[in-house]
Amino acid sequence: MANEVCFKNMHLDRPWTLETYQSSGGYSVLKKILREKTPAAEIIDELKTSVLRGRGGAGFPTGLKWSFMRRDEPGQKYIVCNSDEGEPGTCKDRDVLRYNPHALVEGMAIAGYTIGASIGYNYIRGEFWEPYERMEAAIEEAKAAGLLGKDILGSGFDFDLYNHLGAGAYICGEETALLESLEGKKGQPRFKPPFPAGFGLYGKPTTINNTESLASVPEILSQGGKWFVDIGKPSAGGSKLFSVSGHVNKPGNYEIPLGTPFRELLELAGGVRNGRKLKACIVGGSSVPVLPGELIMDVDMDYDALMEAGTLLGSGGVIIMDDTTCMVKVLENLSHFYMSESCGQCTPCREGTGWLARIIHRVEKGQGEMADLDRLEDIAEKVGGNFYKRQGGRTICALGDAASMPVLSFLKHFRKEFEYHIEHKRCMVRS
Amino acid sequence: MSDSTTITIEIDGKSIQVKPGTMLMDIADDNDIFIPRFCYHKKLSVAANCRMCLVEVEKAPKPLPACATPVADGMKVFTKSPLAIAAQKATMEFLLINHPLDCPICDQGGECELQDVAMGYGGDVSQYDEGKRVVNDKDIGPLIETEMTRCIHCTRCVRFGIEIAGLQELGATGRGENMRIGTYIESALESEMSGNVIDLCPVGALTAKPSRYTARAWELTHHDSIAPHDCVGSNIHVHTFRGLANRVVPKNNESINECWLSDRDRFSYQGLLSNHRLRDPMIKVDGEWQETDWNTALEKVRDTIADTKENSGSDQMGFLVSPSATLEEMLLLKKLANGLDVSNIDHRLRQVDFSHQNQQPKFMSLGLPIEALDTIDAMLLVGSNPGKEQPIIAHRLRKAAKNGAEISLINHRDYSLSMPLHCQLTESYTGLVSLLAEVAQSLPGFNATSLPQEAKALFDKAEPGEDSRRIADSLNNKKISAVVIGNQAINSPCYSLIEVFARALAEQTDSTFGYLTEGANSTGACFAGIAPNRKLGGEIEDRSANTTTMLSEPRNLYILHNVEPEYDFADPVVAVETMIKSDCVVCLTPFISDDMKIYADILLPIAPFVETSGSYINIQGKIQSFKGNTPVENTQARPAWKIMRVLGNLLHIDGFEQLSSADVLQEFESELSAIKADNQANITEVCVLDSVDSKLLRSSQVNMYRVDNITRRATALQKTPAGQEDAVHINSNTAAKYNLNNASRVRVKQNSTAVGMPLKIDNSVADNSVWIAAATNVTKKLGPMFGVIELEVD
Amino acid sequence: MRAFAQIIKSLFLIELLKGLSLTARYFFAKKITIQYPEEKTPMSPRFRGIHALRRYKNGEERCIACKLCEAVCPALAITIDSEQREDGTRRTTRYDIDLFKCIYCGFCEEACPVDSIVETRFFEYHFENRGEQIMTKKMLLELGDQHEKQIAADRKADAPYR
Repeated sequence: MANEVCFKNMHLDRPWTLETYQSSGGYSVLKKILREKTPAAEIIDELKTSVLRGRGGAGFPTGLKWSFMRRDEPGQKYIVCNSDEGEPGTCKDRDVLRYNPHALVEGMAIAGYTIGASIGYNYIRGEFWEPYERMEAAIEEAKAAGLLGKDILGSGFDFDLYNHLGAGAYICGEETALLESLEGKKGQPRFKPPFPAGFGLYGKPTTINNTESLASVPEILSQGGKWFVDIGKPSAGGSKLFSVSGHVNKPGNYEIPLGTPFRELLELAGGVRNGRKLKACIVGGSSVPVLPGELIMDVDMDYDALMEAGTLLGSGGVIIMDDTTCMVKVLENLSHFYMSESCGQCTPCREGTGWLARIIHRVEKGQGEMADLDRLEDIAEKVGGNFYKRQGGRTICALGDAASMPVLSFLKHFRKEFEYHIEHKRCMVRS
Repeated sequence: MSDSTTITIEIDGKSIQVKPGTMLMDIADDNDIFIPRFCYHKKLSVAANCRMCLVEVEKAPKPLPACATPVADGMKVFTKSPLAIAAQKATMEFLLINHPLDCPICDQGGECELQDVAMGYGGDVSQYDEGKRVVNDKDIGPLIETEMTRCIHCTRCVRFGIEIAGLQELGATGRGENMRIGTYIESALESEMSGNVIDLCPVGALTAKPSRYTARAWELTHHDSIAPHDCVGSNIHVHTFRGLANRVVPKNNESINECWLSDRDRFSYQGLLSNHRLRDPMIKVDGEWQETDWNTALEKVRDTIADTKENSGSDQMGFLVSPSATLEEMLLLKKLANGLDVSNIDHRLRQVDFSHQNQQPKFMSLGLPIEALDTIDAMLLVGSNPGKEQPIIAHRLRKAAKNGAEISLINHRDYSLSMPLHCQLTESYTGLVSLLAEVAQSLPGFNATSLPQEAKALFDKAEPGEDSRRIADSLNNKKISAVVIGNQAINSPCYSLIEVFARALAEQTDSTFGYLTEGANSTGACFAGIAPNRKLGGEIEDRSANTTTMLSEPRNLYILHNVEPEYDFADPVVAVETMIKSDCVVCLTPFISDDMKIYADILLPIAPFVETSGSYINIQGKIQSFKGNTPVENTQARPAWKIMRVLGNLLHIDGFEQLSSADVLQEFESELSAIKADNQANITEVCVLDSVDSKLLRSSQVNMYRVDNITRRATALQKTPAGQEDAVHINSNTAAKYNLNNASRVRVKQNSTAVGMPLKIDNSVADNSVWIAAATNVTKKLGPMFGVIELEVD
Repeated sequence: MRAFAQIIKSLFLIELLKGLSLTARYFFAKKITIQYPEEKTPMSPRFRGIHALRRYKNGEERCIACKLCEAVCPALAITIDSEQREDGTRRTTRYDIDLFKCIYCGFCEEACPVDSIVETRFFEYHFENRGEQIMTKKMLLELGDQHEKQIAADRKADAPYR
């Protein structure tokens, strides 16, 4: 049941070429839509049937997002693909760009057609040089084959696609910061409302989707929304790419249906390294709450089940930690990351992430005090709300929430380790 | 009673009718509900980054920023609920962890928004015990002091630059904790409104450099006043410390300056503290200056006047008055002149073309309210650089331009106005008239029959280019349009021709015609009749005398009111020579200078702006009065209107019984209330253009920080890049033509004068044209502002 | 009966003796009067006598011209002028205390964020001419320098209670 959507062509030779892509039915959906002039509403309905939820992390239904765009209103509209995959632990979009770029090109063209955008931008993470070149080559190929550009296949539909290489800021993975960056400004999130669907790139209506979401679209439309939803769960259709990393024998990207038990995913990745015990797992990229090994084992990998278990599916970056891991060190590392990547715009995040990182650093070095732990919780809550109390953050974008979730969850599940660090001035695990 | 256009929301249990889409903050402000804020400012775009205004909204999963949350029907908002207060206190805590505790030495201390809000929302003991952030200070010029460690990153200053000044000079660099506000590459701010960031900064990160560390906020006394340096009449608060002006801040007036103030109005007060202040009346006895008392000095003035009148006749007396003198001073001076039967009185000191003076309107004005500039659709500005001459007007035009108005300029030089311009044409001062003729020519159906002969000839010769056509179209097609001539047009030797064409264009495109005049009170001077051809009240009679004739034939006695001939005249050299040749020069002046000691004979110290009371009529015809502050210690200076009243009494002239400056105005109350600033006139008399073909022509603009005797002594303004502007500007074509490409200094010759000046190749200047700022220390030794000029390598 | 008691009392001068016994008690008790100025009473470290301006150990004056003492002074006895010194720091150019106006309330000392203006335990001073009651910055700093040891000891003694 694996590799059915984005990784469909993985087993073929040179899957990134137009030839290979077309050999397995690629671009047939785009051609069909353009030929038959399929109404946009029909495409959106199909997507709604498929229950494709955004693969970037927030899980917003893609069909619904596209329906916000007023297709027939005059004026320029844009479709933007968010390939700025910066979430620690996640590397799925990289492989979509590397091995299936044409699915993304086709998906964006279809999206452009559906929402009435004649220009698409693909914002690629600065470090992704190889994927960028693959993507550039794919666009060249598609253009040469008349699948992009003016008046595609004589349908009267224009669609130009451009790649844009970012400059390495995590925050530019946030959709509105990405738009600012694309406009050539400092990458800082905009406050919402107005939402990009009304006021997006250059002030024009814009839809922003994750790479994986867009690359799934051709396959969904080709096989039908019903087929897609049946792969996964009724509340979240299809299969999803999980990037398994950390202490496993076979780290890598795995496409599995949503709802697959975590145990199976772990087996697929070859189990915990050296046969050790699973201590903890972050299932959706560094920004989601951590779960101890014993809690995660029997949970199904889908939005609802993970929510119930006390975490989020996020972007699908599964970080496996075995029992040699010092959780304090891990949190120090994560907090340092959020301190460096805060854009500096909102007060709580600008000041709070640094404060958190400093305290955790101190605790890790054995210079903390017990009161620091309560203080950490207090600060984390003031920056990013409390996931467990279902309280949202205090900042414009979700980076504040993302910075506070690890702190709160690590303290919730592994407080003893922190206390040990403070009390004994050394690590519990490595001593 | 809610209808379709309003919805009902509830804030803190209070039900309010509001327009949908309004932000919560605005509604709270309108209803006197206090929400703390830092980044929000009513004139700037919403940034929502300080997170101080978080409030609880029913059913929202998290506290929302009031400044960026639009209202929705039935919304229930709690600004003081435990959640809201907790969120606000949390933000305060974060703001304070890296804010230095240097309030005792901070100039903002006592009027600091952070201090105020911290009193309500801050904790008493910080739980932050890590190291605090320290940020290097930046040098952003002589006006603004930075203390960047205090910055709370509200980005008001950044947004001000982008949205209001139109010149992004400050920006944020770096991420997270390392975010810094600065200019990136160290440079002085060049915006003529840059001082406003001092007011905008909620903390002490940006403070006024000239008044640094001199007084605390609670020691200052507020006085309302009117800025005296341009025709806008910005409303200001003068803050005095122990009787001396310590700083100037804007007073909100939505119809004039909003909450902004130009740097010139903000920092000119330093001139008042200059050590050039004239402290006592002085008289020259046998070539030696002696300090004396008021009685002696005034009696001496009386005797001289009586003497001159008796022995040489009234025509041997001349009154030269600053266009920034108050209305009261002007009215009394005119009365004095009338009583002495003197018609030689003028305020048009830098004007040279008086051909049409007898046909000019009763009052010169903008023709429309300043506020209306915001909503104008098209405007043609001729001979004007509002950015430097009337910064508030430029700000209003920028607002209009941002909303799509088509602003076109015809100038001697391509002035950068930091706003999107429809079109800008440049020519030397004679060519400028031809440009106007071209615009007229490209106007479909332009009726040239009413033009005077000289103008008609130019009209017939004109061959319009693409740009003139665009200007004509924009005036013709846009709904609300205006043609305005500025300071440089008025001072141009072709003034009358420019006005004829501008009026014709305005008339035939249904546009408003207006002026932007020099000084703070040119309109008031029209009313007071401070011109040989005007009566008290503004009525025009047929006379040919004017400033030029008054100077070309030296009189026996000159009375100079607030004027420095070496800077304030079109041709400073001629003006000073005339003064020296004259038998007696009486200066009513707040300042004494070395030049003045040479040409003057009697010096009477007058109280300048801030220290005297009076009124100005601004360019929209609005009369604004202000009170005087207590006179400065150690000086005998008196308000000029009092001096004139005493002189009137001494000379036994009727009508000098006023006890206050308000009494002076009262006499003219009905006339003043009936001022109609409609600029109606029909001009048929124009100047004859000299043949200046193939000659190099000088054009000028008065250096923006040297417009009057106060600004010239404001030390900080003089240190700014604009204040030091003192170079010869020519474009590369002209430079090539005169083999000046490699010269760094040139010798400038004009009439019989010559000075050496630095040369700047500047392609904003028109061909065959030399642009030199007027009224600087160097150009006071040069000939007229506009005229034939020669350059050679120095 | 009462009349009889009265007679006995007056006959034997009992009331006089009672009074004299009080006199005698004090006559022989330990004396509390001291011979000022040869002798002095003990003083609290909180005593509020004449003012002084203190310096840091490196010789830098403490005062930063924040003018809080001037603002808090209920008798308006303090006058301060300030400016930016050449090294960019905020300093006073004038610091006057009018001792005729001063009511020795100690608010200035309380308000000072840098422990610069202090009231010392010295109270014996006099003026011979008008104008001498104005303590200038120079005089105040000299006083501070002179008594720094005592001032510092007094601040230290009182520190636990602040």
